[in-house]
Amino acid sequence: MANTGWDEFEIGAMLRTFDGKIDDIAGTLQEDRAYSPNSSFVASVADWRIEKPIFAKDFCIDCQFCWIYCPDMSIIARDKKMIGIDMDHCKGCGICVEVCPTNPKSLLMFDEHSDEETELAQWPAKEEKK
Amino acid sequence: MSEMKKIKNLKEFSTSADRFEGANLLCPGCAHSIIVREVLNATNDDLVLSASTGCLEVCTAVYPYTSWDASWIHIGFENGSTAVAGAEAMYNALKKKGRLKQPDRNPKFVSFAGDGASYDIGFQWISGCMERGHNMMHVVLDNEVYANTGGQRSSSTPIGSSSTTAPSGRISYGEKKNKKDMVSIMAAHQIPYSAQVAPNKWKDMVKKIQYGMQVEGPVFINAVSPCTTEWKFDPKDTMLLTDLSTDSLVFPLYEIIDNHELNITYRPKNIVPVEEYLAAQGRFKHLFKDEYKYLIKEWQERVDAQWDYLNRREEARV
Repeated sequence: MANTGWDEFEIGAMLRTFDGKIDDIAGTLQEDRAYSPNSSFVASVADWRIEKPIFAKDFCIDCQFCWIYCPDMSIIARDKKMIGIDMDHCKGCGICVEVCPTNPKSLLMFDEHSDEETELAQWPAKEEKK
Repeated sequence: MSEMKKIKNLKEFSTSADRFEGANLLCPGCAHSIIVREVLNATNDDLVLSASTGCLEVCTAVYPYTSWDASWIHIGFENGSTAVAGAEAMYNALKKKGRLKQPDRNPKFVSFAGDGASYDIGFQWISGCMERGHNMMHVVLDNEVYANTGGQRSSSTPIGSSSTTAPSGRISYGEKKNKKDMVSIMAAHQIPYSAQVAPNKWKDMVKKIQYGMQVEGPVFINAVSPCTTEWKFDPKDTMLLTDLSTDSLVFPLYEIIDNHELNITYRPKNIVPVEEYLAAQGRFKHLFKDEYKYLIKEWQERVDAQWDYLNRREEARV
């Protein structure tokens, strides 16, 4: 018990006061955290998706609108750069595509089974302003 | 007042490490988790959280999973705010007795609840927390309906909205009573801070949350949370609906400090007609029939009157 971390307990276990160091969870990024099997982070909702977002890095301006408005913590932003999409937690709502301000959009929704490389190769061109 | 995390722009904000995890069971496009993220990421301090029964609670704590990387408690529908108030009282007592292991840590006490749990069921409990002056924050995720149990009307449901217990049809146009002005009711408890926020105006929201966390005493925050299931719009349009709600002034963004200083924090450049806000949602579809068109006019008049009232109150400093 003395050496057990706060997230290693079974649900329903009775806990006493902790004497040890408290983890600075707000300063630890997802990839450095030791998640317990009871965190929903280890689960996946990928099978909810009908459409998936595909990210075209070339057009991205790192405005982070998609990061702040993603309801599922699925936009991975590191060092102020958008680096990709967490496909385990994305539910395919499409908010990121709606809020993307670039022209052409750097995020677009495609059928769940479409191939990323094919779609990236035929990405829509810049739309002229009317 | 303690030092708060510095957030100058969105790029800086995006370096935050989320303490709310994915693979929760909220609907795709749900605004609840956008609001929760903005609140949680506004600080790097420890958090003591609670959630009253509602979408947020049932979707983030499904056995055996939890989506919270912070201390989190759920008890009942009505007493989420009281649970946090109790934790805050306990914290203060232990601090006074010198029994805290790490007294330099500065935890923030936040309770989340839906509009049903705040406007109706938990009303007297929140009122009690505000009256007793606990150093806590209560955040309402206001989607104007009991979305978790299938869309029953709450006292936050606005006129003309069709819900399962106030449906529209041949005889009725749906909900007949106007929404309760909860921000003013809570401000009337003489609390230091009471505000209305929207997730699309993230900077305004983070500023208000940080002010609320710094200030001593109870804080009430009402956040508009468009519900794709009960407001009946496409999941991808959540942010569009939030934009419409703030730009049409149906949800004006303002704050009330010490119940006498009202500040309007967002003035839309182009005010959108309320009709556009109503037209974007399936729950107001029947208002566009000829016999109910007068209700849209009434809506616009009501929203204008409210905006006028806020402006006059801001000027008068009362």
